Amino acid sequence: MAVAQFLCTLTRSDMKKNKQSKGLAHTIFSTAIIAMLIGGLACTLCLAEPPSNAQQTNSVALKASTPDPDKAAAKSQLTGAELYSINCNRCHPERYPTERTAAQWKTIMLHMQVRANIPVAQSRLILKYLQDNSGR
Amino acid sequence: MLGLVTAGCVMGLAFPTNVTAVVSDSDFNALKNLVQQMNGKLQSLEQTNQLYQQTIQQLQRQLGETQTLATNAVQKAEAAAQAQPLPRVPIDEATVNHNFQILGDAEFQYAKASGQNGSFLLADFAPIFLYRAGDNILFEAGFDTTIQNNAPNSSGYSTSFDLSFAQLDYVMNDYVTLAAGDLLLPLGTYTERGAGWLNKIPDDPLAVDALIPGSGVGAELLGAIPVGDAGKFLNYSVYGVNGPSSADGTGNAGALDLGGNVGVRSDGVVANLHGDLSGGARLGFFVPFKPHYDLELGLSGQSGEWDNAGSHLWSAGVLDAALHLGPNFEAKGEYIVSRYGSDDFGQIDQHGWYMQAGYKLAGLNFELPAINNLELVGRYDSLHDGLGTSTERYTVGYVYYFTSTLLFEGDYEFLHSTDPTQVNQLILQLSLGF
Repeated sequence: MAVAQFLCTLTRSDMKKNKQSKGLAHTIFSTAIIAMLIGGLACTLCLAEPPSNAQQTNSVALKASTPDPDKAAAKSQLTGAELYSINCNRCHPERYPTERTAAQWKTIMLHMQVRANIPVAQSRLILKYLQDNSGR
Repeated sequence: MLGLVTAGCVMGLAFPTNVTAVVSDSDFNALKNLVQQMNGKLQSLEQTNQLYQQTIQQLQRQLGETQTLATNAVQKAEAAAQAQPLPRVPIDEATVNHNFQILGDAEFQYAKASGQNGSFLLADFAPIFLYRAGDNILFEAGFDTTIQNNAPNSSGYSTSFDLSFAQLDYVMNDYVTLAAGDLLLPLGTYTERGAGWLNKIPDDPLAVDALIPGSGVGAELLGAIPVGDAGKFLNYSVYGVNGPSSADGTGNAGALDLGGNVGVRSDGVVANLHGDLSGGARLGFFVPFKPHYDLELGLSGQSGEWDNAGSHLWSAGVLDAALHLGPNFEAKGEYIVSRYGSDDFGQIDQHGWYMQAGYKLAGLNFELPAINNLELVGRYDSLHDGLGTSTERYTVGYVYYFTSTLLFEGDYEFLHSTDPTQVNQLILQLSLGF
């Protein structure tokens, strides 16, 4: 009886150790993932460009902190190149306009417009940018 | 005498010395006429000469003007050519209104599962055929060709050739596109935008594979509406498909077939045996802060009968999110819940989620080629199948970019599951997007 109790204790102890080691692995891995996330975020934020001055106009900035009606009018619509850089590397690495012909880009953009479900007007501007800089 | 001499002198003076010839009046007149004629001709020639001189001068003037014009034109052409390059003429301009292309990806894997031998696992060729039949019409179809060993105690291997999707897209206007066929379903975003070489980790998320169908036969209306001028937009999808079915005709929990109800069965009966369609929708919101900094949120769901008797509903909901912070960091995830009724186990509630992140070491600005081409990736998966099996998977890995489309991926998966067949494994994958 004592032996059985001892064995049960051992088994419970083993199970507890197993659970503890699994829990520890769980904790370590979760910590690693979170650390990687935080590290990635930190690197991104630290190495990012400083916030743009209200007087500067960054060609890819979408908002100016001080509204300037003339500049706002000129920048009221994003260019094809800007829309391309916003949308076209969210899912896959950036592809270069010179990789395809103008006609091929027309087909591919129709496919991407449906896949990514982006506005048709934006898709047209991106297509024009790609065709203007296409390989042939 | 003097008088005679004088008279002689006077007569000599008065009367000229005799000439040797005598000219008659007629000859004289003829000569006079001739001289007059010659004089007239001479005057006429002088006038003509004057006219010729004037003409020559005029022509010389015109020649000078023409030369000046030509010189100016050449100068203008040279200036224009320098200012504007000649427009590009597409090499296949003749086919600009219809075009056929093949995109897709190919993967090659090696895997070593814990307690098993390592093995070259598969070669997968997944082409996507695109045919554009005009400005607004596209037919697209994707296939998966893989090899796999036959069942235990069977020799050899078989080649599977599956249709991943095949749909016709018609852009009706700027806000509505009609898609019909075997659709990639907009439940979350992984199926439409994360599969194949687009996924930085060789395996699909557990919950995506187990809880929701990837495709369905039906029709869909989709579109996107810009919000403001800074690139933000709302997008939507609304669809009706045949939906999940019963593998054996019963309403037992184990008979649920997520990808079922397609076409006509081998016995000639249409596959949508429960009759009603399954409906679904997704609403998404995309917010770019600036290029490479953006957030997308989406909510989607689908519901419909699944068993032949039409007694039980199958429903699923997905919350998806994707975040980019710069060109080097991305994080994305989905939370999936599903619920279905069954004859044997009653209502079954399932849920699962995944979250993955990647960081490209190029962001550290070490300027080392091997480091700059490396991306560290990690994923956490959780799945509860509602029938007593729970699985957690932790994946750590990398992606090495030989080029932007040739990727060498490797990861190690730590499995914790109530299913004893789920074990840790190492997977290496070479994938090419084209």
